[in-house]
Amino acid sequence: MFGRKTAVEPRMTWEKNNEAAVGAEIKVENVSISFPNTANGEIIEALRNVDLTIERGQFISLVGPSGCGKTTLLRAIADLQQPTSGEISVRGQNPRDVRLQKKYGIVFQSPVLYDWRSVRRNVCMPMELMGLPKKHRTKMVTEMLDLVGLLDFGSKYPKELSGGMQQRVGIARALAIRPEILLMDEPFSALDEFTKEKLNEDLLEIWSKTKTTIVFVTHNISEAVFLSDKVVVLSPHPGRVSAVVDIDLPRPRTLDIKNEAEFGALVAKVRSSFEGV
Amino acid sequence: MGKIKKVLSSSKMVTVVWVLGFIAVWEIGATIVGFTKRTPENVLPHIYQIFGSMFSTKLINGSQTALQLVLSNAGVTLLRAGIGLVIGAAIGFLLAVLMSRFKIVEKTIFPYLMIIQMIPILGMAPIILAITKDIDQSRIIIAAILTFYPVATNTLAGFKSVEKEKQDLMYSLAASRYQIYKKLLLPTSLPYLFSGLKIAAPMAITASILVDTLQGSGGLGTLLSQSLKHAMSIYVFWQIVFVSAAIGILSYNLMSLLEKITSPYAKNKKKGEIK
Repeated sequence: MFGRKTAVEPRMTWEKNNEAAVGAEIKVENVSISFPNTANGEIIEALRNVDLTIERGQFISLVGPSGCGKTTLLRAIADLQQPTSGEISVRGQNPRDVRLQKKYGIVFQSPVLYDWRSVRRNVCMPMELMGLPKKHRTKMVTEMLDLVGLLDFGSKYPKELSGGMQQRVGIARALAIRPEILLMDEPFSALDEFTKEKLNEDLLEIWSKTKTTIVFVTHNISEAVFLSDKVVVLSPHPGRVSAVVDIDLPRPRTLDIKNEAEFGALVAKVRSSFEGV
Repeated sequence: MGKIKKVLSSSKMVTVVWVLGFIAVWEIGATIVGFTKRTPENVLPHIYQIFGSMFSTKLINGSQTALQLVLSNAGVTLLRAGIGLVIGAAIGFLLAVLMSRFKIVEKTIFPYLMIIQMIPILGMAPIILAITKDIDQSRIIIAAILTFYPVATNTLAGFKSVEKEKQDLMYSLAASRYQIYKKLLLPTSLPYLFSGLKIAAPMAITASILVDTLQGSGGLGTLLSQSLKHAMSIYVFWQIVFVSAAIGILSYNLMSLLEKITSPYAKNKKKGEIK
């Protein structure tokens, strides 16, 4: 549909190198997505010719300014949005099949909790949908709340919690079904800086325990560098991948790493990769 | 001073002020009317006369006192209104589900349902009666017709108030349609459903009384028109007015109570955490 050669070329060779090394968890091949603007019906070209490979157990971030299609890409992986052209495969299957097998955990920008359910019952909800036995559900809820540090808040209702705590509940709920892929759409963007940094640290700890593949959407460069193995830089109009930056900082990482020169250099590298902003 | 203000602005205080104000205006009116000769006698009697008549032990139709007569007829009215309300609410709810499920249903029938609401009940009643040929059935049907619409619109608004992200979450978890309704749409729309029911319940009672006045076979409306035509007892009329008002208000409160019992928010609200 669109001239593929116009897209950024160096990335292609990078993709090939990694593909050979490890089995791909998520493969995005030449995906373009357009949809009509709900307000005026104009066609928006959200993504153009995106190629991306994500390996099993990786933490990767999609970073970019608004309008760069990062959320659209995440939604396409989650089967919440259909690619106009190109193909996405997750462990060799199409996203729809993966969704139907309930292998995705999703955390949205807002916590999306059910006000009428207690924290425990919110975390429990996906397992109820799956028809898991009650004994298992209770055990998992306790385990997950422990993981996100909210064990004492199980009987509270969402409105009684702070924004950061609500988002933790959202993460616990997403993890409770032991998803193979955790998709996070700007989960901490509505939180204050202190809460966000704390949750970033906690998320890395949770990730190291669960070993899930995480695709994390953010517009915060420092957050992306801190968390990820690999930062995918997207540029807008039309949304496209303009660079993929490997983050080879040692793990486990603590917030102190942000003071190091290496960290600053990577942030600068990501920042310089944006095009046409 | 601040304390007095606080007491005055509390909702109970407001209710008391309204009731006292109502009684005062009524009594002033009754006193003024009292100076002239009342013709007919049931124009605005004093409130104590009406309440006094409720406790009168005089049998007015051979076997019942005035209050017994009014209450037994109120029971008949309530029963019909209740059956009508249940049927109407069930139909309204089903329509809301259908409309939320199929866009085409919403587009094709929803705007026209409102027309049914625009026909005055008194105009509709004889038609329904002619079709069913049974006064009891027609009363139930009319109560149902009046009630299904507020229930349907409010429930549909409730279904539509569900945030897109919540729907996306259910979708990403591959929830079945039944699960989506049960776990997400229904709990979200319950407060809306009940605000529909709170409008519908007094309407069902009004409908039932109004239709009763057309043709008699028991019920508050029948008694009402009899009490106007024949001087059964001058206060029967006013007893009916008061009892009707009371059951109208009670039906509203009953819906509020039901909401408190069934609402998943209830537990929350009691703690005063959610406004």
